[in-house]
Amino acid sequence: MADIVSEASTVPLTNSKKPRGRTNRLMIAMLALPTFYSLVFFIGPLIFLIALSLWKVENFRVVPAFTLENYISVGQQMFGNSNYSIAILQSLYVAATTAALCVALCGAFVLALVYTLPSRLHRLALLLAVAPFWTSYILRVFAWQILLAKRGIINTALSAMGIDWQLAVLNTQTATRIGLLHYSAPVIIVILFVTVKSIDRDLIEAARNLGATRWTTFRTVILPLSRVGIVLSFCFASIIAFGDVLSGSILGGGAGRSLVGSVPLFANVIMSDYSGSTNLPRVCVLAIIMVLILVFILMAGMKGSEAAQRSIS
Amino acid sequence: MAEVVVLRRSNPDGRPLLTLLGRVYLGVAFVFLFLPIITLLVFSFQKNQYASIPGQGWSLRWYEKLFSDDMLLSALSNSLIVSPIAATAASIIGFCAAYAVNRFVFPGRSTLAVVIVLPILIPPLILGIGFLGLLSRLHLEGQLLSVIIAHVALTTPAAMAIIQLRLSQLPASLEEASWNLGATEWQTLWKVVLPCAASGIAGGWLLAFTFSFDEFVIAWFVSGFQPTLPVTIYTYLAASADPSLNAIASIIFVFSGLLLAGAELLVIPMVIRASSPGRRSVPA
Repeated sequence: MADIVSEASTVPLTNSKKPRGRTNRLMIAMLALPTFYSLVFFIGPLIFLIALSLWKVENFRVVPAFTLENYISVGQQMFGNSNYSIAILQSLYVAATTAALCVALCGAFVLALVYTLPSRLHRLALLLAVAPFWTSYILRVFAWQILLAKRGIINTALSAMGIDWQLAVLNTQTATRIGLLHYSAPVIIVILFVTVKSIDRDLIEAARNLGATRWTTFRTVILPLSRVGIVLSFCFASIIAFGDVLSGSILGGGAGRSLVGSVPLFANVIMSDYSGSTNLPRVCVLAIIMVLILVFILMAGMKGSEAAQRSIS
Repeated sequence: MAEVVVLRRSNPDGRPLLTLLGRVYLGVAFVFLFLPIITLLVFSFQKNQYASIPGQGWSLRWYEKLFSDDMLLSALSNSLIVSPIAATAASIIGFCAAYAVNRFVFPGRSTLAVVIVLPILIPPLILGIGFLGLLSRLHLEGQLLSVIIAHVALTTPAAMAIIQLRLSQLPASLEEASWNLGATEWQTLWKVVLPCAASGIAGGWLLAFTFSFDEFVIAWFVSGFQPTLPVTIYTYLAASADPSLNAIASIIFVFSGLLLAGAELLVIPMVIRASSPGRRSVPA
């Protein structure tokens, strides 16, 4: 330590650049830990996922091998008994509809927040909107379960008020969507808030000055300038929904009904396959399929936001 | 004259009906966002076995039941071991990465920035399966250490993002001034950068802690016979809706409320500052 100090003190005062010589050591010190950790414990598990999918199970133990057996058996069951293809379809359907709903509702929320509240309240409102995200997701899902149940809070409240109509959404994918919406809304609200806030207010004023109605201003100024944020948040919300297990299993009841049918989500299939068989190599194949779909969604999102960016500039 | 008219028209109160509609929508949205939390808080103090309206009177029985429930309590203590350790490690790694990315130009800099942040985009389900495979190979599965290892990887991006946001708001001249006054880079790091980034580090730690404390899927795969709290709650939920869960939920909500107050006071001003380019204030 002492030699570092003495060396640094020879750096002339007029030199406004960083002290020379020790930069590399500091840089390597700062880089070593993150690099090591992400290689071993982030890239590691992902590579292991691929490796494991080629291994096999013998006497209930996973043993190293190089076999495509797992891929073949998953491929055969894609359309067979396990019906992975229908589960993937269900997941895509639920994820896409949830994401669309989420972007629409959160978009309206952000517009209402930014344009109807005085700006001194923006920060507080955003703070409150993000608050639920900090609380336990599994407990919120549990709360939705007792709210939406057949003899749950909402239904008993309705009959206490003398209303005959009853809500019957628990154990359907509608309930899954409610849980997912509640989970992803804070994230999407933040993304869209940053998007809308960064729109130059002068542009909106200019449009209004030139006689545009609020609706026209929204359609021709705010919406086009928010396109990147909208595409990104749609992409983000679909990724969250596609990978989530809790809403589907607790609110959707495992195999919740939707237009696709009473089929579980792909994520739930993966989990129940693991707890049913503990055949890790096979589960890895399913996980890889999921990763491929997610990469596809992500790439589509990137392409989409690039196109949106280009359409502005 | 025309300008006066314009000013009035662009005033938010120009169209009272639309403004009212917007505010009503905000109100409904906030009810939606807070309904689950309020529900659990209220029904943790209700006698009902099954939550319904009207309630059956106030009682503390679920809290009593909770404190004699060894499974939930041991899961809670597991979580209280895992999350602080994971958050601390994630903050240290996150700070190193954020500082390096912010300060140095090196080959693979953008790759590192992406790789560090990637776990947030990968569903925990995938990471959980991968971790189970890797850790069982290293004979590290089914213990608290395995959950900690996985949670550090999961929460580092969040911690790093917050810390980097803070570091990017510090003027580079701060470090240069310190060097000019004769401090070494290490001294500058220790005595100038670290104190200035303290709010970011604290925010990152709280975010990492919260992520780890609430994380379910990865813990479900790797925790084995040492379940963390969300894993045990899931087991309870799969069996039946036990109102002890309401009681533990209330405790956790109050706890997260405190964390939230701390974290949002630290983090939200940074996000807002980053998103309003017009007013660049000098970081305190």
